[in-house]
Amino acid sequence: MQGRVKENGNFDVIVIGCGIVGATIARELSRYTLKAAVLEKASDIPFGASRANSSMIHGGFDDEPGSAKAKFCPKGNRMYHALYEELDFKLRKFGSYVCAKGESEERHLKKLYEQGKANGTIGMEIVSGQKLREKEPHTAPDITAALWCESGAIVNNFEATLAFIDNARQNGVSLYMETAVDGILSDESRSSVRGVSTNRGNFYAPVIINASGVYADVISRMAGDDSFIIHPTKGEYFIFDRVAGDLVTSFLFSCPSKLGKGITVTHTADDNLLIGPTSVQQTDRDNRNTTPEGLDDTFDGARRLVPGIPRNMAITTFSGVRANSNTGDFYIKALDRPRGFVNVAGIKSPGFTSAPAIAWHVTELIRENLGDVVKFEKDPAFVPERKHIPRFADLGMEERQRLASSDPKWGQIVCRCESVTEAQVVEAIRRGARTVAAVKLWVRPGTGRCQGGFCSPRVVEILARELGVSPLEITRHGGKSHMLTSKTKELLLPGKPL
Amino acid sequence: MSDISGVREIDVAVIGGGPAGIAAAAAARKEGAERVVVFERDWEAGGILQQCIHPGFGLHMFGEELTGPEYMDRYLKQAKDAGVEFALNTMVFQMDPPVEADGRRAASFWVMNPQTGIEHVRAKAVVLAMGCRERPAGALGLAGSRPAGVYTAGTAQRFVNMEGYMPGKKVVIMGTGDIGLIMARRMVLEGAEVVAVFEIMPWVSGLRRNIAQCLDDFGIPYYLEHSVCELHGKDRLEGISVAEIGKDRKPIDGTLRFIGCDTLLLAVGLIPENELSRMAGIELDPSTNGPVVNELLQTSAECVFAAGNVVVVYDLVDFVSEAGERAGSSAALYALGKLDTGRREFAIETTPNIRVVSPQKLCGERDTTVFLRVAEPVEGRCKLWAEPGIFSQTLRYARPGEMNEVKISAQKLRELPGDVKSVKIGLEAF
Repeated sequence: MQGRVKENGNFDVIVIGCGIVGATIARELSRYTLKAAVLEKASDIPFGASRANSSMIHGGFDDEPGSAKAKFCPKGNRMYHALYEELDFKLRKFGSYVCAKGESEERHLKKLYEQGKANGTIGMEIVSGQKLREKEPHTAPDITAALWCESGAIVNNFEATLAFIDNARQNGVSLYMETAVDGILSDESRSSVRGVSTNRGNFYAPVIINASGVYADVISRMAGDDSFIIHPTKGEYFIFDRVAGDLVTSFLFSCPSKLGKGITVTHTADDNLLIGPTSVQQTDRDNRNTTPEGLDDTFDGARRLVPGIPRNMAITTFSGVRANSNTGDFYIKALDRPRGFVNVAGIKSPGFTSAPAIAWHVTELIRENLGDVVKFEKDPAFVPERKHIPRFADLGMEERQRLASSDPKWGQIVCRCESVTEAQVVEAIRRGARTVAAVKLWVRPGTGRCQGGFCSPRVVEILARELGVSPLEITRHGGKSHMLTSKTKELLLPGKPL
Repeated sequence: MSDISGVREIDVAVIGGGPAGIAAAAAARKEGAERVVVFERDWEAGGILQQCIHPGFGLHMFGEELTGPEYMDRYLKQAKDAGVEFALNTMVFQMDPPVEADGRRAASFWVMNPQTGIEHVRAKAVVLAMGCRERPAGALGLAGSRPAGVYTAGTAQRFVNMEGYMPGKKVVIMGTGDIGLIMARRMVLEGAEVVAVFEIMPWVSGLRRNIAQCLDDFGIPYYLEHSVCELHGKDRLEGISVAEIGKDRKPIDGTLRFIGCDTLLLAVGLIPENELSRMAGIELDPSTNGPVVNELLQTSAECVFAAGNVVVVYDLVDFVSEAGERAGSSAALYALGKLDTGRREFAIETTPNIRVVSPQKLCGERDTTVFLRVAEPVEGRCKLWAEPGIFSQTLRYARPGEMNEVKISAQKLRELPGDVKSVKIGLEAF
């Protein structure tokens, strides 16, 4: 990620967290000449809930009119339909169905339909179970009706998050990885913020945006504000082989309950089958462990929608922890004291969808309320377009040949399941990937059916070569997650126990 | 750089340069095919045998014990002497359904090489020899965290034997597949500690000789009906939880215990790699996960043949080579317009205690061996038979880890009454 440099240690705006919220805000800020920095605790982007979710761009019928969710979700949906081309991330317009079984659930569909109309959702229609099965022949025979929403879409959520921050960086935003905020700095009277303290020293700015996901209340308390609480809520998922991807062609919701939108079944942007999530509150913000119960619940729930899902075609399982706020809605607020601190919190589902609309709103909020401390001048050099690393798997034969002629690395497949070339891996590293997981999020080696069995030795080798380090220094996901522990025979050297 | 609007015409294409592919290519040349090319994605031929530096190969084929690379060298020499052409560093990334050429079906596919770019190839016949891959950790639905240090046994084998790096120091192995057993010994020889091997089933899935030579000889304990249930550790693996497994294949309450380790190796099954076969529209058998073939190793597409672990996961490489030879010879005959596929077709039916069978069909053109694996071990004398009146043999035991063979005489098949459309293979304990 090479970009123009506007940094010098002092910034105008600091964004804490580089999930979809932080990344979209960063990109919005990069339209202006102000100096912005994004601080991300993790080694890979996206890391938290932006990494592990249903990758759905919701139509916006699910939220009560008048709520922040109802306001931002349909708007975000419309923005994505333009942004995916501008920023070159994968978005596929598959549409969604909410599936109802029996009269009481059908009544709920009508309520959703009315809500959607009030919220400005585009392209809704209630169809019969039979009509659903004509389009989705593998859905359960006892589904009696479904709410179709044409504007529901699927994104590659890794690509989308990376696209926003990649473009922000091209336009001069600074990104600091593995940088964890441990304090908010303010002036002596605690009336205005001055910056943040981190494991990498202090960063200064008169405006701090808190987009730290499940840690938002912790960070807010550092600024002296305890007006909301985050209840981390875990959701577990399965991903299936592409062969199972064809079981459905769209995004299927169960009829929602108090717990959330229920288990969904979807054909992903990359043609896998994805099922999940469960919804279980927990106290631990970092616990992303999958559980036997959670995985069973996910599978059973999905089978109520699509009975033929083959468990033996699962290629992996994962879980995400959503930043569920006790306010029951998104919590977006600029503090009066200390001035300059802005909470963008509780952004759970439909948070990914809403993010671009929230980012625009937050930027306007700062412009209006904090215009005296940050100057908002349009940057004439701002470039809204950005290109992802070419996806070899999706290219036509001629384009593939053109690239392969330009550089032998384009002719070398590293990941056979997802047809990823060495050139893609090298470019991901050039744009900032430093770990095996980061390379995977950027260009997909290891996301396929062998789950890195064949490509991980190659990815380790390329990372080591490109970064000029020993393979022993390469980690799976930062910290002490080293892939390898020693050279062979080293454990046999004198002094080592046999 | 080649022009992708052109087509390179060859006689027999072999996809994959492992033991099946190399034997196929050599056999195709010997059978008289002119232009025989092996397409291999790695920079050298040999396939997974390159990393199998342990002995135990070739007992059946050469009557002596060779390492993987030694075994491979013998076949490579045969292939080179026979005039086989090798396209190395060349990956077949797309396969089209068979096309019509000169009034017959021909194979059409696309290859890529870093130096020469993309090329469109048409072959009068093709042998699929892509081998298999390992079932990954994700497929098991393990609970817990996602730390570094969890590898399939084959990936670990590559790191240790090819790259010269150790994936860890204190190892637990899940599954008794052969690569896991081999890696248990390898890790000990490299100075690591192997705590235990766990197997979810009540029987071992690999070869008995590997239990003796890789575990027993090194004092490594193994536990049947045990499964790793949960991974622990944020960055690097810090341990696993293992439980005893009941008859319902679920963990037994109260048996879960923690074992500290920094590495978990998985040997929980191999899956034939049939992505190209799917692209070409070849019929696959859900029980083998490989193409449906007859004894000529011909698939549902008449110009496409298949051999080795891409068809069915074998226990010994010697049989893979044998299958390769048969497929290569059939493909060459097809390319030369000389393959007689017989006037009859027999489906093979099996008793329920037989889990996989290959080939699945017979045409009665060649004497052949049908390979099968039992679903569960039969410890004690049993009778393996093929009806009507084709084969019968008494076995001392039958175990899932070791394939059983049924010899079929083409003569006998051809003599069967015209209304016989299937051969039934069965196994009965005495």
